[in-house]
Amino acid sequence: MSSVPLSMYLMLALILFCIGLFGALTKKNAVIVLISIELMLNAVNINLVAFSKYSLHPGLSGQIFTLFTIAVAAAEAAVGLAILIALYRNRPTVSVDEMDTMKH
Amino acid sequence: MLQNAWLIPLFPLLSFIVLTAFRRHTGRLAAVIGLAATGASLLMALMVFAEQWQGNSFKAEITWLEIGDKIITMGYEVNPLNALMLVIVTLVSFLVHLYSKGYMEGDSRISVFYAYLGLFTFAMLGLVLSPNLLQVYIFWELVGLGSFLLIGYYYFKPEAKAAAKKAFIMTRIGDVGLFIGIILLFWQTGSFEYDEIFKAVANQEISQTMITLTALLVFVGAIGKSGQLPLHTWLPDAMEGPTPVSALIHAATMVAAGVYLVASAFPLFEASQTALTTVAAVGGATAIFAASIGLMQKDIKRVLAYSTVSQLGYMMLALGSAGYTAGIFHLTTHAFFKALLFLAAGSVIHAVHTQNIEEMGGLWKKLRLTGPLFLIGALAISGFPLLSGFFSKDEILAAVYADGRYGLFVLALIAAFMTSFYMFRLFFMVFSGQPRSKQDGVHESGWTMTLPMIVLGVLAVVAGYVNTPWFGTFLNDYLAQGPVELAHEHHGPLWIPIAATTVSLLGILLAYLMYAKKSLSRDWLSRSFPSVSDIIYNKWFVDEAYEATFIKGTKAASCGGTLIDRYIVEGAAEGTVSAVQLLAKSGNKVQDGKVQTYGTVVILGLAVIFAVVALTGGYFS
Amino acid sequence: MNGDMIAFFILALCAIAGGVMMISSTNVVHMVVSLIFTFLAVAGIYVTLSAEFVAGVQVLIYSGAITIIMLFGIMLTRHDKENEKKTPKLRQFAAGGAILVFFLIMYGKIKDLNFPQGDVELHVDNTKKIGIELYSNYVIPFELMSVLLLVALIGAVVLAKKDEKEEGGGKE
Repeated sequence: MSSVPLSMYLMLALILFCIGLFGALTKKNAVIVLISIELMLNAVNINLVAFSKYSLHPGLSGQIFTLFTIAVAAAEAAVGLAILIALYRNRPTVSVDEMDTMKH
Repeated sequence: MLQNAWLIPLFPLLSFIVLTAFRRHTGRLAAVIGLAATGASLLMALMVFAEQWQGNSFKAEITWLEIGDKIITMGYEVNPLNALMLVIVTLVSFLVHLYSKGYMEGDSRISVFYAYLGLFTFAMLGLVLSPNLLQVYIFWELVGLGSFLLIGYYYFKPEAKAAAKKAFIMTRIGDVGLFIGIILLFWQTGSFEYDEIFKAVANQEISQTMITLTALLVFVGAIGKSGQLPLHTWLPDAMEGPTPVSALIHAATMVAAGVYLVASAFPLFEASQTALTTVAAVGGATAIFAASIGLMQKDIKRVLAYSTVSQLGYMMLALGSAGYTAGIFHLTTHAFFKALLFLAAGSVIHAVHTQNIEEMGGLWKKLRLTGPLFLIGALAISGFPLLSGFFSKDEILAAVYADGRYGLFVLALIAAFMTSFYMFRLFFMVFSGQPRSKQDGVHESGWTMTLPMIVLGVLAVVAGYVNTPWFGTFLNDYLAQGPVELAHEHHGPLWIPIAATTVSLLGILLAYLMYAKKSLSRDWLSRSFPSVSDIIYNKWFVDEAYEATFIKGTKAASCGGTLIDRYIVEGAAEGTVSAVQLLAKSGNKVQDGKVQTYGTVVILGLAVIFAVVALTGGYFS
Repeated sequence: MNGDMIAFFILALCAIAGGVMMISSTNVVHMVVSLIFTFLAVAGIYVTLSAEFVAGVQVLIYSGAITIIMLFGIMLTRHDKENEKKTPKLRQFAAGGAILVFFLIMYGKIKDLNFPQGDVELHVDNTKKIGIELYSNYVIPFELMSVLLLVALIGAVVLAKKDEKEEGGGKE
């Protein structure tokens, strides 16, 4: 039995989420933005796993959902990177600020 | 025939519409269309007049508006006064149309000119036929518009443009007075109808003060239109328009509208002694004032313009002295001989291409028709015995004398002297002696120009016989048929016509000695009293006084207004604009197409919502 | 303070340190490498939460696959620091402020939150139980996930592949 309270896990998840969010909003490099999003997903995963243990009805559902999330995140990372490469071929930059042609 | 009188104004309107709609295609046909329209009007007006002569009056009205229990009607009416006016207006208008055919020959905008003439004639006839003050006011403004358009016909000349604006604005001052007067009358009597108003006045339903006030306000309108003191300055400037226009509008018809208005609202004026005195005083003052200016002018049309102002003052003086018949009589004869003088002046200008009388002279032999006709006009206006002006002027003097205002009577006599003097100064300077400048190719005008002058010349001679002490007072009897007892016969003592004749002959003699025989030096006045002649030559500095007071004052006020507008109103507007722009710019900045900016905004919004929910405890709790 | 607590704090510290290093670093490769720390620490956190299988998957997928993909992405693109303009200060402050507010509020809400620990022994036969669950209750999502992965695979290949028509069509 773990003696660490639930709020500690939630707190850790919150901190990681905030770091990821800040990175996603302020970093220039598209790769880093993608990786920050992965960090945010990770924070969510911590929550899911934590609630699968600390809950009124504990069970494996949280862990299984985490697995699904990881799978989706992997797919997202692969597709995101592919888009990035395709973009880079058209305009040799990975700066998110210059990817604003959809505005026009 | 009388019930079809409403058709009379419609012919010129039709001509206006046709000429405006097809102005690119009419060309030389324009004159024919205008002539046909006014000719038809003239024929109908003559028929109406003939029927009216037998003592029939007619009035037709339809309901126009119903406001609560007040009913406003529109319609037309034929009574002795306006039947006479119909004939005068249509006749002069027809002759001017004919004259313009020759005078405006070769003008590229001739169809526009005829269209404007049609519009003006329509408005004037509508004004004459109106049975109520509201309709009068509508046509009154239309007449002003027609005058504005015609004065500014040579709109490419800055003077003409300025004169048109001046005429419009000066008459507008009078129109405001008239409008207030009409509204007050409606407030007091609940009707715009002449008949209703006169009935209310006769039954003393309106207080004496209100009668005086409304009468004076209506008279303000007349002052503006008829160029009375102190709103007379537009009329001489209006001479920038083509000469036929001056003859039609600024001699015979429109300026007479003020007199006509006072005449048709005469029962109202009669009920107030103060109003009558004001009318008489303004008329008398205008008569002598304008005559004095006329002594010194060098522009042939301006002399005639000041003469018109002076004669209109005479008519006002007559009306103010309860000389209803005298006023209308002089209006009629004046319409003929002043139109004749203007047309003759136009003929002279047409021949020598200048309006400065200093450059004319010796034209008597060259203009074999215009010269004698001008002489007839000059004699008529001077009151030479047995010509029309003699009888009407005599009538006025008798009326003024009978009314007992001896000061005004003396003024009128002096004005008569001045009139004959300046008219013959004009005549001798233009027609006698030797040419004072090079004049090539001076020749008599064509028949389209001389024929109207001959007709008017005949009328200027014989028009006086409709009302004379010797052959019968037809006009007085005729006007006495009107619905209200207005016309009073004034039989002054025998010495009045003798005095008037003497005075006018003295004026002619003086002019002859100074300008024809040159036995008197013509500039003794300017030499002996330089300041006086300076004042008179500059038209008593009225324009300059207006410039210094009203125009400067208005400019100062508008400067203040500009400041308020620029810094307060505009500041507020600009502030709103820049606030909105700031908002838009910040909104624009947020939408820069960069994903991260959008994300930041989303997070900001989320944070705000979270903060609100956390601080207030949520909406549902 | 028992072992559980100590382990949690060390792992949490590693995770947060990795995140902070990622934010503060200027070198792209360093950023990715520092995130590996975070991912590994999170895997450790999973172990303390009796989720060994998820911890294994985390190490394999995140620390392994995704990080490697990202490194490949970095290697395939050009990164010269001089050309990279700084993010506008205004936006940085706005994002930071908003996130701070968000953090503080969430912190206030969750700091006292506590659910009783369930008496289910999740860590006993963890992988076997997950397998049974996946192939019984969650078989349809599981199969759908495989389709998703396939689609992502094909999509990534199509997107990243050089456009042959464009290549042949003419020079850019």
